[in-house]
Amino acid sequence: MTIGISTYLVYLAISIALTIWVARTLHKNGRVFLVDVFHGNESLADSVNHLLVVGFYLINFGYVSLALKLGYEVNSAQEGIEALSVKVGMVLLVLGGMHFFNLFIFSRMRRRSQIRHNPHPPVTPDAFTPVQQEA
Amino acid sequence: MLALTVLYDPDCGLCRRAHEWLAEQPKLVELIFVPCASAEARKRFPQLDHDLTKKDLTVITDEGAVFFGPKGWLMVLWALTRYRDWAYRLAKPELLPSTKRVVSMISQHRYQISRVAGI
Repeated sequence: MTIGISTYLVYLAISIALTIWVARTLHKNGRVFLVDVFHGNESLADSVNHLLVVGFYLINFGYVSLALKLGYEVNSAQEGIEALSVKVGMVLLVLGGMHFFNLFIFSRMRRRSQIRHNPHPPVTPDAFTPVQQEA
Repeated sequence: MLALTVLYDPDCGLCRRAHEWLAEQPKLVELIFVPCASAEARKRFPQLDHDLTKKDLTVITDEGAVFFGPKGWLMVLWALTRYRDWAYRLAKPELLPSTKRVVSMISQHRYQISRVAGI
C-alpha cells in the first residue's frame, strides 16, 4: 500500500468517526430542545430530530467525499501527515460550522415557539368595560 | 383569552380592506368584527363610550380589557399566527412611540388614503 492510499484511508477513518460523534452528540442533546419546542410532543420531536441528523450526515459525508482528492503526490510519511492534517482540519471546520448552524436552528425554533405561545399581550389595556354575555 | 372583538369603522374603504385581509389570516386568537357604534356594539358593551370608538379602532378582549387606537392595532397583530412576533417587536419601549405615531397618522387620514387609493 502506498503512502498516498494510506493517507486517504486514515483521512476517511478520522472524518467518518468525527462526523458520527458530532451527529450523535447533536441527536442526544438536541432532543431536549425539540421536546420543549413541540410542547412535550415527544414523537414529533424525535421525528424532527432524526430528520435533522440525516441532513447533517448527508452534508458532512458529501463534503468528506468531495474533499478526498489530494491532487499531488505524497512521497514521504511527513508529507502524508501534513496532507492529512489539512484535510482533517477542513472537515473539523465544516463540522463546527454545521454544528453551530444546528444550534442556531434549535434556539430559533425555541424562541419562536415561546413567542407564539406567550399569553401576555404586548401592550397594557387603556380601560376596562363590562361585557354583555350573549344568552 | 379566546377572542378579541374589533370595533371598526364600516364607512372607510381602508378599514374594509384591512378587514378582508384579516379575515384570511391564520389566527391564534379569534377576531370578531363589529361595526363601531352599531346596535350590536352597544348591546355587547353597554357602558363603553361609543362616540370615542368612532375616532379610532377599538379592540376589546372577552374579559373586557379595552385597547384603543395603535394599541388596538398591536392587539390585532398579536392575534395573527404569522405576526405575533411583530406585535412584540413594535411594542418594545424604543419602538412604541414611533409605532403609535405612524398608526395614528394612518388612522386620522384613513378617509383621504381610501380616496387616493380608490378603495
